[in-house]
Amino acid sequence: MPRLSSRLLALIPLAVGINLALGKVASATSLPVFLDTVGTVLVAALVGPAAALVTGVVSQTAFTMLDGKLMWMAFLPVQLGVALYAGLAGRYRMFASPARAVLSGLGLGVIAATLSWPISLILFGGVTATGVTLVTTALTAVGVPLEWAVYGASLGNDLLDKGVTFFLVYVVLEALPSRMAARFPAAERSRGRA
Amino acid sequence: MTVRLEAVSFRYPTAGVDALRDVTLEFAPGGVHLVTGRLGAGCSTLLLAIAGLAPHVTGGTRLGSVITLGQDPATEEGRGAVAGRVGLLLPTPWTQLSGMAHTVAEEVAFGPANLGWERERIRGAVREALRLVDLEDLAGRDPGTLSGGELQRVIFAAVAAMDPDIYLLDEPAMELDPEAAGAMYRFLPALARRKTVILATTDLDRAVLVAGRVVLLDAGHVIDDGDPASVLGALRAVEAGATTTVARIAQRAGAQSPLPLTVPAAVARFAR
Amino acid sequence: MTLGYLPGSGLLHRSHPLTTATLAAVVSVLAFLLPGPAGPGMLVLALCVIAVAAGMRRVLLTSAAFSAPFWAFLILIHGVIGGDFATAAALAGRITAILTVFLLLLGSVHPGRLVDAMLQRGLPFGLAYLLAATLQAVPQLQQRAAAILAAQRCRGLRVGGSLWRRARAVVPLAVPLVLGALAEVDERALALETRGAGSETRRTALEPPLDRPGDRAARWLLLATVVGAAVWRLLT
Repeated sequence: MPRLSSRLLALIPLAVGINLALGKVASATSLPVFLDTVGTVLVAALVGPAAALVTGVVSQTAFTMLDGKLMWMAFLPVQLGVALYAGLAGRYRMFASPARAVLSGLGLGVIAATLSWPISLILFGGVTATGVTLVTTALTAVGVPLEWAVYGASLGNDLLDKGVTFFLVYVVLEALPSRMAARFPAAERSRGRA
Repeated sequence: MTVRLEAVSFRYPTAGVDALRDVTLEFAPGGVHLVTGRLGAGCSTLLLAIAGLAPHVTGGTRLGSVITLGQDPATEEGRGAVAGRVGLLLPTPWTQLSGMAHTVAEEVAFGPANLGWERERIRGAVREALRLVDLEDLAGRDPGTLSGGELQRVIFAAVAAMDPDIYLLDEPAMELDPEAAGAMYRFLPALARRKTVILATTDLDRAVLVAGRVVLLDAGHVIDDGDPASVLGALRAVEAGATTTVARIAQRAGAQSPLPLTVPAAVARFAR
Repeated sequence: MTLGYLPGSGLLHRSHPLTTATLAAVVSVLAFLLPGPAGPGMLVLALCVIAVAAGMRRVLLTSAAFSAPFWAFLILIHGVIGGDFATAAALAGRITAILTVFLLLLGSVHPGRLVDAMLQRGLPFGLAYLLAATLQAVPQLQQRAAAILAAQRCRGLRVGGSLWRRARAVVPLAVPLVLGALAEVDERALALETRGAGSETRRTALEPPLDRPGDRAARWLLLATVVGAAVWRLLT
């Protein structure tokens, strides 16, 4: 593992803190989203996919430790998928406009749902976060087979979650004064100005 | 010479202008060197350049040569040689916390532990440093429960624990209440007997009482360099927005340079 | 109901963090290896015994509280709707076992000691630092998020209404939090660099936990159990 620079040592804990703190914001607005990857996506757009991967790993570990539920570690592949996708999105200047940001966010939503689907189903029998599970329960009650119910529920959730997440990162990049953006290697490119 | 800068210019990334322009300065060992100027004049940048943090952590481009303790602190090699020998104190206490200490003692030990010292040496250094800032009884406290003033003193101890040769203090009393600020400044002359202290601040009313030499910056240039009375008492200092309150008032009242810098000096000058 | 570290001096507190971590890992693997619902059930029972022996009964309460919703949903989905209560019990038991052992781990290992243990084992400083700093940063940012929520509410931000309205309300809540955090990165990086965080030197562990023969024996025993269970599973 390459030596982490002091900037990354300073940035990553904050990014993970953002991942875990925005959950409060989300529940305040009663939106069925977690917003627990905003920090990871932000690091991907500001620094790049490698740093975002580290952020994802630390984030999932910290979340597991703070929540006291070891099973969350099983969803690590999803965080890593988010980190890689967001890093690519940054490289392809997907944060240059709100439309591009939201569309790529929706794309990630599909990928994230597809990645978490087997994990949810096989390891947890389809029961994970309360809100999503409510939808799953409702779907099975009307006769939808379990596999599809789980996928459907998490797809809806992930589309909204990742769409909003990418939009938020777009807004933050827009609002960042160029003096600050310049300190981060990938920032200018992500927002389409380099 | 402890620090020598020659024709140093520095520009932050995507900045339109240089933060430092053609700066040539020397800092002899020992004493309190005051670097001042209005906001944006380049005082903080100068400190960062001396530490090599500009450009290493801040990015940007540096021209000219900086030799700190015999090394260029911006190079890989220089950084290694200078590690722990240049201490930096920034204005806001809470952003300087290591983030992984549960007690004040752990926070102070963070630097020495990173330098790989043996445990006994670290323990001794922590004790000494806490004694220096008079916070020994807070050693077991959680840093998150401390006031701004106490926290800044803990960070000061954390820097002192590494026993650096140079102390770079960037507005160290900015977030402190007047009493804590006064205490921080009063502390410096004793420190400066054994170490080199370079202080960047606009709090000149206090700084003038401890500084032995003043460097005046304006828009990145060095426009004056000498003893406090002549540098801060000159009209140039008033124009550059960097002088004491008393001097400003005296100038407004029509006094000629060298302007008096403190109340006793003004009284001596005007009371007949 | 408490999460996180519980001060104490029982069996688990005195063990080396790696031992307790191994226990957690082993129980997690066994939870999947052992056929349910009896397998996970035995694990949960064993953990209850350990918890009481280590003086950490509180953990059992927390674990029960957290598992309850899982039990409810699983029984509903797999049991009532699917008709297979055995699977529901197996899955729920698995979750409960893992949850309990993890709470025991969290409750007996002080986060600071965990980092020291990692460093002692030679793990790269960067990762250990990130974990430790993150655990401290999270509550701070959560507090800030709450403060921003209160402040924006004072300014008339409405968080109810249609989906679209609510989605828009997220922006003035999330963006200030993120921008505020980013503004600090510079100073934090400077402070860390000055205190040697970026240096290549091997960091000294300040108070490394004791690794006693009992600890080592316990770890080997645990690993042997997993291997044994795996072999048994393969053969049957």
